[in-house]
Amino acid sequence: MSDGLKRRDFLKVVGASGAGVGVLGCSTDKVEKLMPYVTAPEEITPGVATWYTTVCGECDAGCGMWVRTREGRVVKVEGNPEHPVSRGSLCSRGHSSLQALYNPDRFTGPMLRQGQELQPISWEDAEGMVAERLADAGGYYLLTGSVGTSLTGLMSDFAGATGGQVVRYDPLAEAPLREASRIVFGRDVVPWYDLEEARFLVSFGADFLESWLSPVRDGRGFARMSGVDEEGRKGHFTFVGSRLSLTGQNADEWLPIQPGTEALVALAMANVVGGGPNAGPYRNIVAAYNPENVASITGVEAASIRELAERFAEGPSLALGPGIAGLHRGATAANVAVAILNAVAGNVGRTVHYDAPQLDAPSAGFAPMQEAIEAMRGGDVGAVLVHGSNPAYALPASSGFREAFGSVPFKVSFASAMDETAAVADLILPDRHFLEAWGDTSSRPGQWTLRQPTMRPVPHFDSKETGDVLLSVATQMGQDLGVQTFYEYLRGRWADLAASAGADDADAFWRESLRVGVAQVGTTPSGSSTTLRQPDRLIAFDPPEFDGEGDLHLMVYPSSRFGDGALNANRTWLQELPDPVSKITWHSWVEIHPDRAEALGVRNGDVVELSTPYGSVEAPVWIYPGIREDVIALAMGGGHTDAGRFADGNGVNALDLLPSEAEALSGGLVHFVTKVDVTPTGARHRLASIAGSDSQSDRPITPAIALADLGAEGAGDEEGDHGPLKELQGVGGFVPVETDGRPEAFPLEGARYGEYGDENEPRWAMAIDLDKCTGCSACVTACQAENNVPWVGEGQVTMGRDMMWIRLERYYEVVEASHAGPVDVRFLPMICQHCGNAPCEPVCPVFATYHTPDGINTQVYNRCVGTRYCANNCPYKVRVFNWYSFTDEEPVREGLGHVPEPLNWQFNPDVTVRENGVMEKCSFCIHRIRKHQDRAAVAGTTIADGEIIPACQQSCPAEAIVFGNIRDSDSRVAQASRDERAYRVLDELINTQPAVSYLKKVTFHEVDSGQH
Amino acid sequence: MNPTTEVLRGAVPHPDIQSLEEVNRAVLRPLGRPGRGWWALLALSIAGIGLLAVSWGVQLWFGIGVTGLNSPVGWGAYITTFVFWVGIAHSGTLISAILFLFRAPWRQSIYRAAEAMTVFAVMTAGLFPLIHMGRVWHGYWLMPYPNSRFLWPNFRSPLVWDVFAVTTYFTVSAVFFYLGTIPDLAAARDAATGLRKKFYKVISLGWRGTDREWHHFGKAYIFLAALATPLVLSVHSVVSWDFAVTIVPGWHATIFAPYFVAGAIFSGVAMVITLTVPLRKAFGLEALLTNKHYDAMAKLCLMTSLIVFYAYLSEFFMAWYSGEEVERAAFWERLFGHYWWATWIMLVCNGMVPVMLWFKRVRHSIPALFTISIFVNIGMWFERYVIIVTSLHHEYEPFAWGLYRPSIVEMGIVVGSFAWFGFWFLLFTRLLPPVAIAELKEVLPTRMRPAGAGGPGGDQ
Repeated sequence: MSDGLKRRDFLKVVGASGAGVGVLGCSTDKVEKLMPYVTAPEEITPGVATWYTTVCGECDAGCGMWVRTREGRVVKVEGNPEHPVSRGSLCSRGHSSLQALYNPDRFTGPMLRQGQELQPISWEDAEGMVAERLADAGGYYLLTGSVGTSLTGLMSDFAGATGGQVVRYDPLAEAPLREASRIVFGRDVVPWYDLEEARFLVSFGADFLESWLSPVRDGRGFARMSGVDEEGRKGHFTFVGSRLSLTGQNADEWLPIQPGTEALVALAMANVVGGGPNAGPYRNIVAAYNPENVASITGVEAASIRELAERFAEGPSLALGPGIAGLHRGATAANVAVAILNAVAGNVGRTVHYDAPQLDAPSAGFAPMQEAIEAMRGGDVGAVLVHGSNPAYALPASSGFREAFGSVPFKVSFASAMDETAAVADLILPDRHFLEAWGDTSSRPGQWTLRQPTMRPVPHFDSKETGDVLLSVATQMGQDLGVQTFYEYLRGRWADLAASAGADDADAFWRESLRVGVAQVGTTPSGSSTTLRQPDRLIAFDPPEFDGEGDLHLMVYPSSRFGDGALNANRTWLQELPDPVSKITWHSWVEIHPDRAEALGVRNGDVVELSTPYGSVEAPVWIYPGIREDVIALAMGGGHTDAGRFADGNGVNALDLLPSEAEALSGGLVHFVTKVDVTPTGARHRLASIAGSDSQSDRPITPAIALADLGAEGAGDEEGDHGPLKELQGVGGFVPVETDGRPEAFPLEGARYGEYGDENEPRWAMAIDLDKCTGCSACVTACQAENNVPWVGEGQVTMGRDMMWIRLERYYEVVEASHAGPVDVRFLPMICQHCGNAPCEPVCPVFATYHTPDGINTQVYNRCVGTRYCANNCPYKVRVFNWYSFTDEEPVREGLGHVPEPLNWQFNPDVTVRENGVMEKCSFCIHRIRKHQDRAAVAGTTIADGEIIPACQQSCPAEAIVFGNIRDSDSRVAQASRDERAYRVLDELINTQPAVSYLKKVTFHEVDSGQH
Repeated sequence: MNPTTEVLRGAVPHPDIQSLEEVNRAVLRPLGRPGRGWWALLALSIAGIGLLAVSWGVQLWFGIGVTGLNSPVGWGAYITTFVFWVGIAHSGTLISAILFLFRAPWRQSIYRAAEAMTVFAVMTAGLFPLIHMGRVWHGYWLMPYPNSRFLWPNFRSPLVWDVFAVTTYFTVSAVFFYLGTIPDLAAARDAATGLRKKFYKVISLGWRGTDREWHHFGKAYIFLAALATPLVLSVHSVVSWDFAVTIVPGWHATIFAPYFVAGAIFSGVAMVITLTVPLRKAFGLEALLTNKHYDAMAKLCLMTSLIVFYAYLSEFFMAWYSGEEVERAAFWERLFGHYWWATWIMLVCNGMVPVMLWFKRVRHSIPALFTISIFVNIGMWFERYVIIVTSLHHEYEPFAWGLYRPSIVEMGIVVGSFAWFGFWFLLFTRLLPPVAIAELKEVLPTRMRPAGAGGPGGDQ
């Protein structure tokens, strides 16, 4: 108690939200005890949010966060605009970290296994037991994941002092990339890629928009690179790989290569680029691979490679990859080839930086883990401590981890919630969630980000920071690490940082770092060029071997929602987020090319058995034209058995199909290594997909415009500009009023119905640039978090009852896996269009939906009687209905959405929690608008353009969304909607006058009929 | 009286009826002690109402999610069945009011049953807007009532029009039905004894059959008939506007009002056939309900079938002719898409099977007519299903297309609605004279009556 209060005193936090009156949401009827503040905490004003900075702990990227708290509870996380990695954005996984904080399946306190049961134990006893057992163990392992710099340091100190060994294992660690960097440039780092600086990007299967390195930062860089700029220039992106991931779907061109032949394509490109003088020690290798030689092996015509290489040579270009999905037995060689390609094209120091890398933390590949497993199996290990990782899930079954771990006499898990590893541990010492804990990360040398507790630990769970536990254990073991708490340890390290940053006052440096969320210590070294080194290992660039029979290669790739899914699967927001590629929720699916599916006689939803020499799983088929005919793909992240109520039983664990094998050169776990046998089982599993049709069916939903046509007279704007129109709006809808159909013109003069205001009122509008949108779906989760959008459960999604306010539509235009060529997949975040002429409004019998004076189509939940007439009449189908009460503590029926305590702590108090039987939809984040309006009214000021930021725009890594008042012709949204690419969906057809303008995607290839 | 006059008056001969007393006996016979069959049917219908109640209860308890509805198909079996019953409700008033005004005397044998059917069908239809509502407990918000929040219903919404149209139609048809029954209730009173007599005494409002009463009755009847006539056209027009005023492809069509009215009469007449055939058999009313009556109803069926089929073809043609991609796709989907079977059931049952009615032999065969009427009933239910479900499932946004399948709860409620309707109809057959005695007597062959005696009346 006093501990927490003291802590608060340290946090002289920034009240980023400022003053303003939040609208208190209608509470549920579950108010049990009302206690007024006798002495109000200084920094808490009821109804006003307090913001804290911290850093996301979901992956290695280290996005800076702003954490919104209300009355002491965390209700939302957002990107920290001042942080160099996130720059205000955040991915779906980052948003969903709240559901880990309030995870109802977290351990309520330390637990000791007695027999089969876990029994509560006190922290003192537990720590005493650890100290005692470690002292007797005679050597132990501390298995950990990506946990931040200082904690990693403390762990090393602890292990060093107590005779243990730290093994870091991250299933998505880029071991081959680091090894290739070491071989080629002598630097064991993950280089820093500057996508923004490139004009020609080639990815050899690196899924940088989803799971590779730093998706938020790279998503932004990619959007800036590939989005058309004011001069009409647009960067080109080519995807080289066997399967189109989300990243691949964003490409302009696709080279569907034979599995495992990235190295050959990269070397052939280097050959064309002019490998001679630049290739240094690799001169001979580059000379040996010309496009004609590799064409037949890679399955790509020499001309395609040659053309690609010539454009690549024009620069500034950048080659990336291969990523985890392409981690085959030749992965390091492929990375070496890509590094050579970058080097010969002169990209090193321009778009790739080895001197100022992205990551320089120790490698977390599979090889050290393999050794640890061997040691455990040998019986030499007296104890194993597991922290920040879930190896029992995240390693292939064939690794034997479970058996080896089971044989260890004393197994301690620091998991905060149950997972597969904790399920077999003897002692559980639940760690705090990162939003309750101290820590730090470094996303790049010189850039340090602090993590601070943003709320008092969730009271349902008696947790303790692992750093504190380790220090306490060390003390009991008679080791003095110099500090008593992890906080002191952290302060100590930051005092050193302050010194190296040249700060006079370490405390001031610390406070400022907490306030801003990021500290620059020294300057980031500017990437000076690095020369190629003679390889110190034998590298074979030939296509790797694949185990097993047949011609189907199994690709196991990290899920764009979960990554490896080891620790984040128990989150309904992620489970129910439609996968950006397949649009499937909850369960696993097997991706099969249409021709292959026909040959196998399977349809969507037919369950097939996948069997490899290492195991077999069963999952339903999803037919996908974006995969080669000889490849079958399966995502990681499913098939949990002990990860909590929302994770268990969904899908299959793809790792069950893989051998336990480290790539020879780098020690990374191989993922693309085996052939697979596909057998239909005859069973069916209806896909829980939100996709209706994958084709636009010749409708102007997401038209595109060819780059060549951009700026041409009259091209591309036939939709937004349809001359004067007459609208039956005057005198109650009987007299025509002339309009030019611009969004700011609506509602028209004389329109009587709804509370239409005068011209002094703003008209809120949005513009979404589809040339930038990557379909990453971060906005979907951000919206869900902001607006208390319920989840509904797999069965309901299958029935078509998903409730996301943003439906990220995905249409195939050109997806051809048989040969190299253009690829064109269109994304469209479909939200309520806030039509000026809204079809939903006149049909509601009770005025539950109506127009506000500032042009917002609002839904009055309390007035809605649930006729669903508005949804029928909505041409955009953006209205979602509460078919059940999805927000009760218990599910109304088995498998339905519900919000068990304490998940309901996450609810945004500014937004009503809806009940059974009412309609809802995107509100343009009206509570945010009102908050700013109220503040402006109180302060007597006006609202500046860009001041109001809806949750989707706030979260968008691609900066594709702009919101504002379209009546103000200088506003960004007004400018965007005047762009020649601007159009409004279906507007020409049905005259709905949407407030949302979309900016057409720009393609390099010709598009049909100038429209789509 | 010469035969020509008789033909001009359109009177329907009842060759088996020998006297006016026989009419009374024949019509009032069913009001006696019911047989086992009736009790069995009543028990069945009560069980069906139980099913309705349980299904609705389940839906209220859990939420409207127990249906198969979803996004994009927000309306399904409930609204289908609502429109179906509203349609059924049409022929009663048509037969009793419009045909009365047009002096079509063949109506006299059937109009009582048809009117009863109308009232009960509206009572059944009225359940569905409530059932389909997400928050039925707030359903009264659709009514304009003064309240402190100054909140009124949205008079632009066709659902509000529906509220007025259906309640008005129910009120007028119930009053019309009751008024027309009064003289016959008096006849029943005169024939009954004991408790039943008291019951009829009260509800016959002391009818004595005086000239003055007949005079007023005739006036009132003709006024109400005139009042009800526009409602026949308006109610289903309004119901059709639920669809026609939207922008849903497949709904948004100007043909909807006449198309729906014709369809309603079509289904209503078919339902009258479906109901009176067993009634006639069970109560031995063959003498009153003759081939001549069924022939006339069959012709009405045939005519409306042709109109409806024309409307179908016109919709398909207009979809093609408009050149509008979305509209074309919706109708293509209707014929050959996921719900092709429903569309073809509709086309075959409503457009093709009734073609047989061109043949007099078919029109004069009661079993054939009964069978055809069943086809039409099924076809007309599916017509609404096709309009509602196939249009909604394939709208503007391809990514939002989806499928719908009725759930067991919806089926329970739909089946239960037939039981609810049957329950009232069964009660009607035992409590009210199923054929209009007084009017029937009017058209009996003149040879039974003194020359020159015309107009309603006679002994009670």
